[in-house]
Amino acid sequence: MNATERFLLRRDLLKILGKASGGIAVSRWLGPEVALAQEPTRGKAIEPFTGPGANPHWNSVGPYVAEPQKAPLLLLTDRPVQLETPRHYFRTAFTPNEAFYVRWHLEGIPNAVDLKSWKLQIEGNVNKPLALSLSELMQKFKPVSLAAANQCSGNSRSRLQPRVPGAQWGNGAMGNAMWTGVRLRELLDKAGAKSGSLQVQFQGLETGQGPEGLGSNLFLKSLDLGNPVLDECIVAYLMNGEPLPILNGFPVRLVVPGYFATYWTKCLTWIRVLNTPDENFWMKTAYRVPDTPRGNTTPEDVKAGTLRTVPIERFPVRSFVISPDGSSKIPAGMNVALRGIAFSGFGRVNRVEISDDDGKTWMPAKLGEDHGAYSFRTWELSWIAKSPGRYSMAVRATDEKNNTQPDEPVWNPGGYLWNRIERQEIVVGNAN
Amino acid sequence: MEKRTQAIFFLTCCLVMAAGVIYADLKKGYYSPAELGSVQQTAPIELMPDSNYQVSAYPVGALELAVGDGRQDVQIYCNTCHSPRYITMQPPLPAATWEAEVNKMNKAFGAGIPEENTKKIILYLQAHYSTENRKQ
Repeated sequence: MNATERFLLRRDLLKILGKASGGIAVSRWLGPEVALAQEPTRGKAIEPFTGPGANPHWNSVGPYVAEPQKAPLLLLTDRPVQLETPRHYFRTAFTPNEAFYVRWHLEGIPNAVDLKSWKLQIEGNVNKPLALSLSELMQKFKPVSLAAANQCSGNSRSRLQPRVPGAQWGNGAMGNAMWTGVRLRELLDKAGAKSGSLQVQFQGLETGQGPEGLGSNLFLKSLDLGNPVLDECIVAYLMNGEPLPILNGFPVRLVVPGYFATYWTKCLTWIRVLNTPDENFWMKTAYRVPDTPRGNTTPEDVKAGTLRTVPIERFPVRSFVISPDGSSKIPAGMNVALRGIAFSGFGRVNRVEISDDDGKTWMPAKLGEDHGAYSFRTWELSWIAKSPGRYSMAVRATDEKNNTQPDEPVWNPGGYLWNRIERQEIVVGNAN
Repeated sequence: MEKRTQAIFFLTCCLVMAAGVIYADLKKGYYSPAELGSVQQTAPIELMPDSNYQVSAYPVGALELAVGDGRQDVQIYCNTCHSPRYITMQPPLPAATWEAEVNKMNKAFGAGIPEENTKKIILYLQAHYSTENRKQ
């Protein structure tokens, strides 16, 4: 036995000695039966559930994918890119940029932007057309910051019954960020809309292969010039204090507080004042909701063809349980924190309530910091399950306009405006 | 004396090893083959201090569409503007909804799919991705 072999032998013996003394200690304390290895359930991928029932999972069911500047997110489609934010990222009021959901309409998504040639153009029916570089936007205008939630019109579409075509989002087509940039109103005032102007149209760098003039060629959205939301809009070059990921709209993105994300044009490059109403596909045909309470209707009414529709606008009040997420058991008698978020496109959330008896009684949750009327607001409630069993935790939020989440589902052919009370099943096990 | 020490050391080692084996058995982990957690990390791209802000290409995954008549038409025509994931992502849809979707591609989006191929695509989608026929 040479020196090296002796060293290795001694090292191995010491290792075993260490492990063994640990093992003996564990056995003495707990009895060997506690640590007995049990044959576990085989880990397997989530069922690629498509329906026809409602998606039973909180998120959509796709695999994780790593896209440029992004953490692994849930894949809906790869071309154009649509990615959903996994549930756990909503533990905090602000959603990290690398986890922020992604939704494009046309496959021509920029892979690069050259800031030497890129200019934000304010054009159309204006007195003085403008073309501003990013450095001019950052230096010539006063920066303003605003916390605002961004939610896809089709968020939670996979809940609808009967199911409707479209991106089959779970609940993760939403995010909240601190947006910093220039007030849209300042840009519009500087260019000066001529009399007779009706709308302002937004166009980003997104392009498609379809023929000119069709929705497959350009993604265009417009807002009425008389809409007071224009005073709250920001042309943002910072997202949570960082440049925007290109998939979220680098170099600048329109922020329309309280409005669904369809208006939050990514890679915003053209702001166009119109003197005729915008009748392009994305305004006249898509992103429209029935002009009924909650945008609710039935397949029969759609078939009858008498439904009046209007462009989608603000998102209704919503709230979510983020943790516990139902993936682990909770021992009875343990005081656990229930945590989640709430938000509304109609103003600040000022009440979040939790029910553990399927809506018979409601307990008020403690609200987190108020980051502004359009921001996510966290909530928390400490909760003890006295006895083992299955608990259905329901959460409902109320905003400052006194809008409360209803417990009835919503249905429309676009799969928009879902805001029913959410539930999370929690399994409580025996603690002894 | 020296021999006795060695013997004690040897016996201690045996005891320790036996205990270690028992302990290792108690704490045995179970592993099973699965394709979970297999998202590749993205390699960093080279950055230059110029005005061009670039990212790497967006990844497109391979996807198996159901085998059957019309599959090739879907791969040629539908794939022009979007990957076939747009199809497999959908819930099982009524036959009439698939027809309306394909017609929307032609009429609203100007896909320009020849009539014969349009028919084949509709039949294919109805045969594999409809409420009646979709396997899962």
